[in-house]
Amino acid sequence: MRRVAIVGAGMTPFAEHFDLGIKDLLPMAVTEAIDAVDKGLDRTEINAAWFGELVSTDGFAAGILADQCGLVDIPVSHLENACATGNDTLRNAFFAVASGYVDVALVAGADKVRETSSQTTFWDWMAMTRDMAWDYPLGLVAPANFALHAQRYLHESGATREHMAMVAVKNHANAVPNPKAQMRFEVTMEQVLSAPMVVAPFGLYDCTPQSDGAAALIICGEEVVDRYTDKPVWIRGVGLGLDRVMHQHKADMTTFPATVKAAKAAYQMAGVDAADIQVAEVHDCFSTIEMISYEDLGFVPRFGAAKALEAGETTMTGRLPVNPSGGLKAKGHPPGATGVAQCFEIFSQLRGTAANQVASLPSLGLAHNVGGPTAVAAVTILGTAKP
Amino acid sequence: MTARLQSLATYVPRWGDDRQRVAGPDEDAITMAVAAGRAAIATAAGPVDRVVLVTRDLPTLEGSAEAVLIAGLDLGTDVLATIVVGGAPTALDLAASSEPGTLVVAVDVTGAAGAAAVVLGGVDGATLEPLSRAERSLPVLVRDSQGAVFDYADPRLLRVRGLGAAMTALALSTKPIVVAGVSAKDAAGYVEGKPSPLPTTGASSALFALAAAIDAETPGTVVATEQGTASAVSLTTGHTARSTHCPVPRSLPRRRSVADAEVKISLPAYERAFDGKVRLAAGKCSECGNLDLPQRYRCSQCGAEASSALAPLPRDATVYTAVSVHVPVPGLLTPYDLAIVDLGDSGVRLLAPVTDADPGSTAIGDCGNVVLRRIAVRAGVPDYGYAFVPEEAAR
Repeated sequence: MRRVAIVGAGMTPFAEHFDLGIKDLLPMAVTEAIDAVDKGLDRTEINAAWFGELVSTDGFAAGILADQCGLVDIPVSHLENACATGNDTLRNAFFAVASGYVDVALVAGADKVRETSSQTTFWDWMAMTRDMAWDYPLGLVAPANFALHAQRYLHESGATREHMAMVAVKNHANAVPNPKAQMRFEVTMEQVLSAPMVVAPFGLYDCTPQSDGAAALIICGEEVVDRYTDKPVWIRGVGLGLDRVMHQHKADMTTFPATVKAAKAAYQMAGVDAADIQVAEVHDCFSTIEMISYEDLGFVPRFGAAKALEAGETTMTGRLPVNPSGGLKAKGHPPGATGVAQCFEIFSQLRGTAANQVASLPSLGLAHNVGGPTAVAAVTILGTAKP
Repeated sequence: MTARLQSLATYVPRWGDDRQRVAGPDEDAITMAVAAGRAAIATAAGPVDRVVLVTRDLPTLEGSAEAVLIAGLDLGTDVLATIVVGGAPTALDLAASSEPGTLVVAVDVTGAAGAAAVVLGGVDGATLEPLSRAERSLPVLVRDSQGAVFDYADPRLLRVRGLGAAMTALALSTKPIVVAGVSAKDAAGYVEGKPSPLPTTGASSALFALAAAIDAETPGTVVATEQGTASAVSLTTGHTARSTHCPVPRSLPRRRSVADAEVKISLPAYERAFDGKVRLAAGKCSECGNLDLPQRYRCSQCGAEASSALAPLPRDATVYTAVSVHVPVPGLLTPYDLAIVDLGDSGVRLLAPVTDADPGSTAIGDCGNVVLRRIAVRAGVPDYGYAFVPEEAAR
């Protein structure tokens, strides 16, 4: 396989874009990614595109990307892999470029969560993720499925709601300087702990908002990288992991085996380990999930997340800043776009252009999603050093 | 003819107060019949080959209530289940006139809720012999086929020309020991001494009356009445196996409902899952013995395919993790709790709603049992499955 780099990245702000449809958001993100290519790129130079979207709105996903972005003359594939869609879309496009099948590929991700009433979202989501006979009618709404993990995690690890609140406080603070973030306001520990309960132990500020948005990346093979930039960000490793789907089948709910498998694959491919990562965008749809993910990604020992939070290890000035963009928690979470937007953030961090830049200018970063009924995870490792 | 009672089980919901129990939102005539029926079958000496359910509170007029009843009781699909629309006299008559091997279960859901079941047959149980019957018309209360209630609202008329005239028509030679189907206050004067209140006044009250007499070891005449109708049987006491579910009452928690929502159903998925879900049975692999719930084509342990058969699971359960959903979910009453429980030592876990307990009161490590409940109503179809009842909620 040949080496592959990201040469351009863009994203729309994440928000409740009631005034913008998928047909607006997608071309906005794609054009921003194309315009971000240092030495310029004409869209006719794109050989193929991959589009990650969880729930298609306004119809046929791949066709909408091709049609709305002026790409009807190239092959476009639609990919869906629950909340790991974004990073898995990049992974699939990566393989096409690495194999030499195409030189330049577009990776796009988008979702329009707020296209339906917030009242119907619960059941729509459950119909998509639950066994129709066994789990769907029980009302295992999305926050509840993660809360089942969180309760057991708190029980076994000794971590508390205060530690969860530290995640929310950190990620909200990180979102303030980020113009693409949905929730650009700080919250205090007291506000997080006294917020209305959504699904215990998650209060309102432990939860990601419902978001619309799109993000896009331009990736290309090493032979053509120089044509587009002198500051490529290399795709060092990609990994995807799966797990049993129904929660009652997950033997140990304090960990996500899907993440462990995805991270192992990505670290192995990159030839690095967790200690080498200098900045990370970690799946934090609910505060506890960021904590569990620290452990699954190998950033801290098992049940070591609380201590790391107490020591501020993952703040902007800590040893490993996590979610400088604000994360899903405060930047927002349009599922198909989320992983792609994480890569936009890491791309920006490694090039020193991020809205909330890590001062030490990191050279190796990681993006991570876990989703479905916590049954799939994707990890991407990006670096400035050519592999 | 004389009917003999092998076993008699009574069930009242957890909710309500000392005066009157009310059915929980996940209970209906079928789940309550299953609760009482399973207890009666469990303590009966012989097998049950026929089921008769007496109630005026049918969850559905058409659908598959009988099949759910049979599966919930874990009886064979060749067992005949009959649902009879009737009140206390009908329940008493059926208990006194059915063949050995019959489970007669009577249920009341609206108003004072309760269920009671008897298994007929055996050799040394209490006996029932029909004495007399008076089928009379005094429709003070009418419920039409759509469930609309028309109440003439004349309790005095009901006392005088209902119970009073019916008692006269029965022409009993001795005073009954108990009158079911009316309040204890209305029964006073017709029985010896001060009557004890029964938990219900509908169909199940006839069997609650038998239970009270058997427990007090008081043989005699038992009367059941409903509006203008009454029936009398002669009871001798004996070694009838008894079980009682009567937890400390608690008022139904205040919960809210934001909006209706269409909870979709796939009937092919419903039908495929039915036996495992309503009988609480896992697929047991014939190659390695592993249990998979739900049953699956390929064994999760050894990979053997199409080689599993349904096997019953233990119903004692321990909470592995539990959550409390506070956010309003359209179509559901919130808050509600969901738990993942370990079923006995089977190695099988079940995701189940928590029931008969206050939301938020369930903790990791809590012990209890899983019971059949109406988990949801989906596009008009009652969807039955198992819910977790903490030990404390069943005491």
